[in-house]
Amino acid sequence: MNQTKLHPYQRGVSIIGVGCTPFMYTVDKEETNGLTEGELFGYAALKAMEDAGVNPQDVDFYFHGEASPLNNSNYLTPNIHVTNWFGMKGKASIHHSEACCTGYYAVEEAVNAVASGKYDCVLSGCVEFGDSVAVPNHPYRREKISMEKFLQTTAWLYDRAYTRSLMAGQELIYDDAAEWYKRTRGLTDEQMDDTLNWMCINNRRNASVNPLAIERKTYEELAKEMGFDNVMDYMRSPYNPKMGDFLRAGGLELKCDGAAAVVVCATELVDKYMGNKSHKPIEVLGIGCAACEATTPHFEVRATEEAVRQVYEITGVKPEEIDIFYANDFIITSHLVSAEIAGYLPFGEGWKYICEGRTAYDGDKPINTNGGRTSFGHAHAASGLADLYEAVHQMRGEAGDGQVKRLPKTAMLRGYGGAQNICTYIIRTAD
Amino acid sequence: MAITLEKVVETFYENLEKGKITGKKCTKCGAVEFPPVYACNSCGCWDMEWVEISGNAKLHSIVMPAPLSNKPEYKAMGKFAYGEVELEEGSRLNAVVRGINKKKRKEILEADALPVSVKAAIYQRDGFKTVVFDLVEE
Repeated sequence: MNQTKLHPYQRGVSIIGVGCTPFMYTVDKEETNGLTEGELFGYAALKAMEDAGVNPQDVDFYFHGEASPLNNSNYLTPNIHVTNWFGMKGKASIHHSEACCTGYYAVEEAVNAVASGKYDCVLSGCVEFGDSVAVPNHPYRREKISMEKFLQTTAWLYDRAYTRSLMAGQELIYDDAAEWYKRTRGLTDEQMDDTLNWMCINNRRNASVNPLAIERKTYEELAKEMGFDNVMDYMRSPYNPKMGDFLRAGGLELKCDGAAAVVVCATELVDKYMGNKSHKPIEVLGIGCAACEATTPHFEVRATEEAVRQVYEITGVKPEEIDIFYANDFIITSHLVSAEIAGYLPFGEGWKYICEGRTAYDGDKPINTNGGRTSFGHAHAASGLADLYEAVHQMRGEAGDGQVKRLPKTAMLRGYGGAQNICTYIIRTAD
Repeated sequence: MAITLEKVVETFYENLEKGKITGKKCTKCGAVEFPPVYACNSCGCWDMEWVEISGNAKLHSIVMPAPLSNKPEYKAMGKFAYGEVELEEGSRLNAVVRGINKKKRKEILEADALPVSVKAAIYQRDGFKTVVFDLVEE
């Protein structure tokens, strides 16, 4: 497969502020029904600026991400639609969409813009209404979108000329990584099933202590409510049915609504922008990117391998230096597969770490401490920046009840989506 | 060779209507792109020529259709699976392979028989023909 050689940034770039809304089903509650794109994006953007200690006038440029603006918002240029909401009127911006990987490319874009020297301070935000669509010709009303209708629009992720015609690429997203892992690591069907279930359990435990997560009831509680003494009996039961060849219902994303944002600036200008803020900046050491279109066999695996190779090569960081790991796991298998490819979990042993609970927030190898897509929720474009929000709070020691045992200094985050983009980056707290 | 604006996709599907499964072969390194595209993904050369695919291939992985990965229209294919297919010409792609159900997969896996031989076939979908593969019983 083709490879890319990265070159060092022209100057260092640091994360100085993050913001995130709760992830929500907005139309389900009176207090959130009627919220708009500008309100969600604006909230996340201003929270990130407040966190950074900057005024909107300090920010030179912003990036805007939304996975499906035409279908969900009836917007063609969604960056313009929100532009008056957070004090940056008149400043330039650009919209981008890489579907579920948007929130990861949001970091790539912002970092490149500052590293090049063109801008000193940049905002990057993402918003998504994954659970509802705009009512045409009404200023704020929305209506729920069913999973069936949602899946009809996800077909647009795939190439019309060949992939949809050949039928396999779009259908393999659910189970290809599990099949690959099981076959190459020699697991039995039962071991693979248990591993997928334990990832769901661990994600939910993480979400249960995260006030921004959309689903906080643990699987142990759900099992008890349904009369099961053992949570795994519940996970293997019809309450958690097989939806894929390997994948069960609990391993699927909870599509929902939300927004998140980050402010980055040149590392050499951190003192100027952060003022009297006491938290340490977090430097972006490097970002690796790759893409494998869905007809490519094992697209997630191959693109992750290349992106991970790039980011380790350019940063010089070793896998053993990674203290905490995040992966876009809208299909839950992703977090096992990517953590092993990254060397965060040892080859062929990652599934055991998961089944032993070691990847939960209170374990020694924490993954997706916010609860991941299956419990924190998946507001498609915004989820990647929500991962960064969580990683930054963990690295500052500000994650509350969900704080990991050992303060992480270095984190890796791996984004995935859009049939299929991969973006992987390493961040480290400044000394 | 000059870069030309060519209707590759339409030609591919028209060739299927004529009973021919075609790809593009790189004149520089010999790699075959299937399905056909403008440039070689192995060496980057854009001097490509049409070539008929033999249809002989190997299946390297098997994933069964399930509620999320099946559609009512797929029923007409009979028993089938998805997987990584490697053409005799070298290209690899995700494809549908007919002739595999759960029982057959179990037999293949228990015999540690992967990769197994498959053969390309032209399959009529609603309004156009496409390419699937058939398990070759050996």
